[in-house]
Amino acid sequence: MFPSNRSGADRTDRDLANRCRRGDMTAFEELYKRHSGRLYSVAYRMSGSAADAEDLLQDVFLQVYRRIDSYRGEAALGTWLYRLAVNTCLDHLRSHQGRQRKATDFIDDVEGLEPVANPFWRPDRALDRMDLESAISRLPPSYRAAFVLHDVEGHEHHEVAEMLGIAEGTSKSLLHKARIRLRAFLRGGPADQTPRPAAAAGAGADGRRGER
Amino acid sequence: MDTRRPTTLSCEQVAPLIDDFVDERLDAAAREPLESHLAECDSCRRLADDLREIRRGVRALPAHAPRPEVWARIAQQLAAQTPAKPRVFWTSPRVALAMAAVMILSVVTSVVVLRGPRPSSQGTPAAQSTPAQTAGTPVHPSDPASVKDVDEHLRIADANYQQAITELEKIVAPNQAALDPAVAATLQKNMGIIDSAIRESRAAIQSQPTSQLAQTSLFDALRQKVALLEDTIALINVMRKGDQAGAAKLIGGRSKT
Repeated sequence: MFPSNRSGADRTDRDLANRCRRGDMTAFEELYKRHSGRLYSVAYRMSGSAADAEDLLQDVFLQVYRRIDSYRGEAALGTWLYRLAVNTCLDHLRSHQGRQRKATDFIDDVEGLEPVANPFWRPDRALDRMDLESAISRLPPSYRAAFVLHDVEGHEHHEVAEMLGIAEGTSKSLLHKARIRLRAFLRGGPADQTPRPAAAAGAGADGRRGER
Repeated sequence: MDTRRPTTLSCEQVAPLIDDFVDERLDAAAREPLESHLAECDSCRRLADDLREIRRGVRALPAHAPRPEVWARIAQQLAAQTPAKPRVFWTSPRVALAMAAVMILSVVTSVVVLRGPRPSSQGTPAAQSTPAQTAGTPVHPSDPASVKDVDEHLRIADANYQQAITELEKIVAPNQAALDPAVAATLQKNMGIIDSAIRESRAAIQSQPTSQLAQTSLFDALRQKVALLEDTIALINVMRKGDQAGAAKLIGGRSKT
């Protein structure tokens, strides 16, 4: 979540971005300190691995350094960074999963998948953290991105839409599918047992449409 | 006819609203008929309950943070690239002074921790040394009177760590046979990772001598190396005594760190 003093934070970010453009490494290190925690959290939840998350974070900040000139300040710097991070994570996941795809086919848009039930989740018992983390890591990349940004990071749908370069309705649709799929992973049962919300149309198979 | 009575919804009408309901985004006019439906429909109520439980679970997930060496790796890579832009290192002397003050504090603390008395709980026959003992006589820095001393203090802290590490390695090397080969291999692998972090941190410091993150990364890695060597010695001792339970406890403790 962004700091509550958002305009002040945005001003600091803009100042840091300007100094980074001039090659000021002190500003770049400050930028890293301010944003690496949240971006690492996204990378960790997207990749499901601390080692991968660190590699992704490194990749993201190397890109930030190279591409800071292209940041024009239309969106908050945090949004721009999130977009870069999520797209880097999606590329990583797709490249990783692409290697397995020939054998297993991609599950991104396979509806009615019947995951194995988790017999240990009962209504009278809190969700096990490991089960939940494992279930999140099994979500298709686009579902996972919407879920992580909205439910884990606490962004609103219009922010998620901006970060992923999709329509707000698509963000809602992806989140809904992610939650239903998670429930199915955790509870067992059909992965898409509710009718689709009306706002489902608009996303490509990879859940994004805008440029980075 | 009571016009205030909520309209009855079907399951299909509830489905598109369920996420906003769980996220508490519905106003009363939309929420009340949905709640009426949930009161009568087991399937939709279970769905809403489960989604709420998932939200609660997600909010309770622990936060994660990157290790300091990630910045060191980034700084190293940037330094290795041909600079496309003119670099401005530490343009403000005041910033550099502030960073240096933090470094002096952390470095001096490290020196004191390394040099200070340590509880000797491992009273074992073969390898009894603690870092305080194995470090020999540490190099004493002069009083940190000015920023000029910072490099010297960092160098001294680094030298003290290296001295401790060298002494500990001298104890470990001839006694490694006491370790189970699989455990020894794992320790070796972990040592390789730490050594790699030390190398990366040094490279980052070379390109950005005053980077606080790079300094933190280096001293974290050095501390980890000392800790791993200490654990290895403790493990050698319990293995020599045939204390399998003690060994398992040590290995378990190490794997949690």
